[in-house]
Amino acid sequence: MANQTAHLSEVFYALADPTRRAIVGVLGRGPASVSTLAAPFAMALPSFMKHLSVLERSGVIRSSKVGRIRTCELKPKSLSRAEQWIVEQRAIWETRTDGMSAFVEKLHRKDLSND
Amino acid sequence: MTRETLANPDQQDLVISRLVRAPRATLWKAWTDPDLLKEWWCPKPWTTEVRAFDLRPGGAFYTFMRGPDGGTSDNPGCFLEVVPQARIVFTSLLIGGWRPATPWLAFTAVIAMADEGAGTRYVATVMHPDKATRDRHDEMGFFEGWNTCIDQLEAFAQPSR
Repeated sequence: MANQTAHLSEVFYALADPTRRAIVGVLGRGPASVSTLAAPFAMALPSFMKHLSVLERSGVIRSSKVGRIRTCELKPKSLSRAEQWIVEQRAIWETRTDGMSAFVEKLHRKDLSND
Repeated sequence: MTRETLANPDQQDLVISRLVRAPRATLWKAWTDPDLLKEWWCPKPWTTEVRAFDLRPGGAFYTFMRGPDGGTSDNPGCFLEVVPQARIVFTSLLIGGWRPATPWLAFTAVIAMADEGAGTRYVATVMHPDKATRDRHDEMGFFEGWNTCIDQLEAFAQPSR
């Protein structure tokens, strides 16, 4: 049980980042190569690879290399159904709260510039 | 915005905390004006329709979300407590007028805001049923709703900035 708990907090950590949640969202539609995954993100490849390795260490995704192409996919059995459920609820509320914070800060800047 | 997240993996409660660089009054306005709430309740390209927003204990709080591929998420609920500029409690277990409901996702959320430095500390605590209750829901087809939730998560997972 202690191991399980440690594992779950790693998954929480892995999914606390918007980039990593986006990667999981893309992989939800099927396996993808690293270059396909990285394309939409405006970040250097080494930074992107760090995000992938956090996801891989937490057991959310796995990757394999054929020739020069590394392909990533979700590991569906990494969590029990109950664990997945709570992880998803956290991801939804984290994302919503980020959205709200950004919106409120923008609203505040607008108020300031109107004064 | 400062990210601080407390992981409570042993519990069914999520505690999500942010330090928002804006006054409490602005945060309160964004939460309690349905025209503003729908702007941030779910990330684009999903859209939120606020079907009811009766901000008082027992008042209906009903959001309906639509995704780009025709996916929807129907979330009726009820406000339990409203303390102006400080606290909002709502649940999916009741609808307007305190009428009991059997939601696909049972939860009660406590939203708290307090001044902190020049900004506002925002804490959302989302309480879920215990494991036994959830297992019962599972047998009752609870996880049909869960699939909706996955579709929704996929949309939520898109970069929102």
